[in-house]
Amino acid sequence: MSGLSVGMFLFLVSVGMSLIFGVTRIVNLAHGSFYMVGAYLMVTLVEVLPDRPWAFWVALLLAPLGVAMLGGVIEIGLLRLIYRRDPLMQLILTFGLILVIGTLVLLAWGPDNKSVPRPAALAGSVRVFGQPFPSYYVLVLGLAPLVALALWLVFYRTRWGMLIRAATVDREMLGALGVNVAALYTQVFVFGSALAGLGGALAAPTVAVALGMDGDVLTTAFVVVVIGGLGSFAGSFISALLVGLLQSFGILVFPAVSIVLLFAIMAVVLIVRPWGLLGRPEQ
Amino acid sequence: MPRAGWLGLLVVALAVAPLALPPFFLQLLTEIAIVGLFATAFNLLMGFGGMVSFGHAAYFALGAYAPALLVKRAGLPMLLALPAAPLAAAAGALLFGFFIVRLSHTYFAMLSLAFAQIVFTVIFKWKALTGGDDGLLDVWPPAALKSPAAYYYFTLAVVGLSLLALRLIVDSPFGYALRSVRENPRRARFIGIDVRRHQLVAFVISGAFSGVAGGLFAFYNGSVFPDFAYFTKSFEPLVVALLGGVQSFYGPLAGAFGFKILEWLVSRQWPVYWPLFLGSIVIVVIVVLPYGFVGLAGGRPWRTRPAAKA
Amino acid sequence: MADPSSRQGLILAILGLRKHFGGVQAVNGVDLSVEPGDLRAIIGPNGAGKTTLFNLISGDLRHDTGRIYFGGEEVSGLPPHRLCRRGLGRTFQITSIFRRLSALENVQTAFLSHHRRHYNILLPARRLYRDEALALLERVGLREQAGKPSGILAHGDQRRLELAIALAGAPRLLLLDEPTAGMAPRERHEIMALVARIAGDTGLTVVFTEHDMDVVFAVARRITVLHQGTVLAEGAPAEVRANGDVQRVYLGQPVTA
Repeated sequence: MSGLSVGMFLFLVSVGMSLIFGVTRIVNLAHGSFYMVGAYLMVTLVEVLPDRPWAFWVALLLAPLGVAMLGGVIEIGLLRLIYRRDPLMQLILTFGLILVIGTLVLLAWGPDNKSVPRPAALAGSVRVFGQPFPSYYVLVLGLAPLVALALWLVFYRTRWGMLIRAATVDREMLGALGVNVAALYTQVFVFGSALAGLGGALAAPTVAVALGMDGDVLTTAFVVVVIGGLGSFAGSFISALLVGLLQSFGILVFPAVSIVLLFAIMAVVLIVRPWGLLGRPEQ
Repeated sequence: MPRAGWLGLLVVALAVAPLALPPFFLQLLTEIAIVGLFATAFNLLMGFGGMVSFGHAAYFALGAYAPALLVKRAGLPMLLALPAAPLAAAAGALLFGFFIVRLSHTYFAMLSLAFAQIVFTVIFKWKALTGGDDGLLDVWPPAALKSPAAYYYFTLAVVGLSLLALRLIVDSPFGYALRSVRENPRRARFIGIDVRRHQLVAFVISGAFSGVAGGLFAFYNGSVFPDFAYFTKSFEPLVVALLGGVQSFYGPLAGAFGFKILEWLVSRQWPVYWPLFLGSIVIVVIVVLPYGFVGLAGGRPWRTRPAAKA
Repeated sequence: MADPSSRQGLILAILGLRKHFGGVQAVNGVDLSVEPGDLRAIIGPNGAGKTTLFNLISGDLRHDTGRIYFGGEEVSGLPPHRLCRRGLGRTFQITSIFRRLSALENVQTAFLSHHRRHYNILLPARRLYRDEALALLERVGLREQAGKPSGILAHGDQRRLELAIALAGAPRLLLLDEPTAGMAPRERHEIMALVARIAGDTGLTVVFTEHDMDVVFAVARRITVLHQGTVLAEGAPAEVRANGDVQRVYLGQPVTA
């Protein structure tokens, strides 16, 4: 069960990463940093907002918005300048962002671990199949299908979603059809950032909010995205759940090798189907 | 002054440095030499082979841990243990490279990163052997090499020989063929070159010399830690080579010099700001450089060095 | 016409070769036989399957069904570098050279590889096969350009360089995919005359595709016409010129003379 919740956080981060790659062809290594910023914003917002039951939910809304703004600034200020460049340069640039964001977070929030209290209503635990299970995870698990459904509706039932799907297939054509591709890139990057921020905000009450969380979630989300297929929405969903479960059960059954196993699976996928389980091969 | 003259001057300057410089600067120079070797080995792939690895920390770490383990667990003296550095790194590079060279561009980078994360995780988790997060401590060279000046000379000698070997390789028929693979793998196939195997050989050579750098660093540092294999470490040779220029053999050396001096200057004043500073430099270099790694992907005509005079 | 199924004495024999991309049958049952010393043109309208056929012969693509014999031995499925070692050379429709190496280094590298020195990591390569490479550059008219980065050479010179790279491997069979693409008419005739001369001097077999019919009929010894992935006609230039099917494909109707 907690594996499924972890899968949920992973899904939010990796679907954003996958979406951004699908449309802009940039593998955003700073996506883990967005997740971290989301979690830290949650820390501050819960502290700053008045101690009322609704405060947590408002924070949960505002934190992703903050991350979305950060994403917007980065996209407009930096990424726009390098879309036509060597993909490896883009990769290195987003790595540079990891360092910059990491330091800024350190300066803003200090080196100590933080924690976010769970909302009072969800502080307890419920019994699931006779096992005690934190209520907060129930929320996360309840939210998961909702978010996935919302994303599905956005992608498959709105004009914007149609543009995004078209962009993952053929960007040049989209430009030729008169779509403002630059604006679409920005929107997608902002949206993907917000998803990562939401993941971080949701995860904040379940983990220690600490400086290393950007790298941890990045490497795992990276595995998720690669296994599922870069740019594939359904692939990210399935593989996030798989990886989340594998991680949780792996830690119970064979703690020492679970992460190795994860990367080994990713390596196998990359070797056999570099475009991922549900992705599409590049031309 | 002819090139040989400059080189001679440099050698003399490096040789007399211990007479003029305090130990701290010798240590800085030692680190520069090690990072320079690491970045030059890395650049054999990037600059000459057109392959960008995002996981070279793996081979640096294998090169650091292999001799450290031999010293700590088998009680070998350093000089006997150190040859294990390139061997272990080359073995790792052969194993991983076999798969990595099957992919290209972004996927090549990602798979190399994935394998490096595996190495990191194994080191991190296998506490019984590697000490996990605590690393292996007290990995020191023998008494005769322990002083900063002695270890400086030792490093200089090993790095110098390694650079010479790498230079020979770059200028050899193998190096020519490697460049042809970088320029145009399809054409290279049609002059009879087995592109993947060639890339794999280059990968192993590059890994082996990265391992030498790792081994030297282990005994310089007196300890080894899982961080050596972490993905941030993989970006060090990339950034150094990028700063110094990937198109020339000596670019990464110059880059290492600039990188380490800068790191020292910045961290001395504001230790916390160094990653911010480094990240900003990387971003600025990438955004400002008009064509990035010229032609690595684009194939823009560009002179890599004075063409052979016909 | 030689029968491809009796492949003895043929440098290249192809039987029932097929290749499809998605729903498109790019090569649809091609039989082809080429005798040593031939100077064979493969012509056909755009999309006839010429380049695909070349890519299949040279191992760049795997065919779906059929067999390819090179020098009497089956080579189906061999990768390009193996085929190259057996004496197959080729050039590409879009110039394919090592752009950031000098013209000399381009050809030197091909020589190094041909002489199996390409794994040598000890010798300095600068002087190896330098004279041979310069002689070959002289032959294709690039002696003066030897030291220049090949990427800045004029288009026609790049095509000549690619020819030199292919020749450095001392091939028995040379596939030239539109060797004169993008050249002025005069230069086209020049370069094909050069190819014919070299072929005549060395006994090299050449198979080439070409759009310019003047060039084809001036140089080719035999011509194979591809149409919609199959061989429509084959024969000496005069036979092909008189062939009614060929005229229909190219002109829409037979020429009544």
